[in-house]
Amino acid sequence: MANTVIGSSIVIDGEISGDEDLVIQGTVKGKISLRESLFVEGSGVVEADIETQNVEIAGRVTGNIQATDKVELKADCRVVGDVKAPRILIADGASFKGNVDMDVKER
Amino acid sequence: MAAKDLVTSGNTVIGPSILINGKLTGDEDLTVRGRVEGELSLTKTLIVEPSGVVKANVTVKNAVVSGVVVGNIQATESVELTQEGRMVGDIRAPRVIIIDGASFRGRVDMGELPPGRSLPERTTPRAQLRPTVRSLPAPPPRPAAAAARPGNTGATVPARKPGGMPGIVRAETARPAPPAPPAPPVVAAGAKKKVVLKKKK
Repeated sequence: MANTVIGSSIVIDGEISGDEDLVIQGTVKGKISLRESLFVEGSGVVEADIETQNVEIAGRVTGNIQATDKVELKADCRVVGDVKAPRILIADGASFKGNVDMDVKER
Repeated sequence: MAAKDLVTSGNTVIGPSILINGKLTGDEDLTVRGRVEGELSLTKTLIVEPSGVVKANVTVKNAVVSGVVVGNIQATESVELTQEGRMVGDIRAPRVIIIDGASFRGRVDMGELPPGRSLPERTTPRAQLRPTVRSLPAPPPRPAAAAARPGNTGATVPARKPGGMPGIVRAETARPAPPAPPAPPVVAAGAKKKVVLKKKK
């Protein structure tokens, strides 16, 4: 499946939805809802509420994250907001501020 | 994942199942295979692929539309509607290319730029020729008048009018000039050629 990439110089102010993987190297403000995986790369800046299956964050995210499968906060990421997912991984070096909710029902 | 990262190092792509609703700006090429609605402005090229749908006011440098665009496109360079392109809206760009098979409804405005770009090539040679034409307006009428006299009165004319002699002499020297231009119709003879044209007018 073709990958969707938001390049580093791109700024999106609005809503993104879809059924495929999304890679963010640029800036997205608003709302993101996917049925697949979201990758916020090191240069990526997201100021949005996120609803996906998987999230991997190496960049900056401000907003609430809700995943049906997994949220992974990688080293050097900066996340502010509430995270809700059955599996949540926080790597050494990650910066995070917010609530964590590993919903038992989802397991 | 490493492979994925390599793939993603390119330009921005909006995949076929993605919908973006809002404002999108950027300084890089953007390929749309999905849907973009709202407002889109780039300093580079927008490519709308056959599966792509853009319902937005678009401001870009170049746009290549193979999919569907509903909205106005303003491009600083060019807009191209390919064979598969479908568009409803106004196009404003110095270069607009519509390929056979494309469907388009709307206005096209190529602005004032194209004449400004193409005319200098035509006007500059004209401008160079004008001064040479201006410097030679006096001689042309003389050979014409002189040519009429000898034809009517024969060879005795020069003897009867000594006062007219210098004029005729000048005319004779000037006479060879007019036939010369037609012989070499090369660019180099352009100045003389122009003189001939001026006479006819």
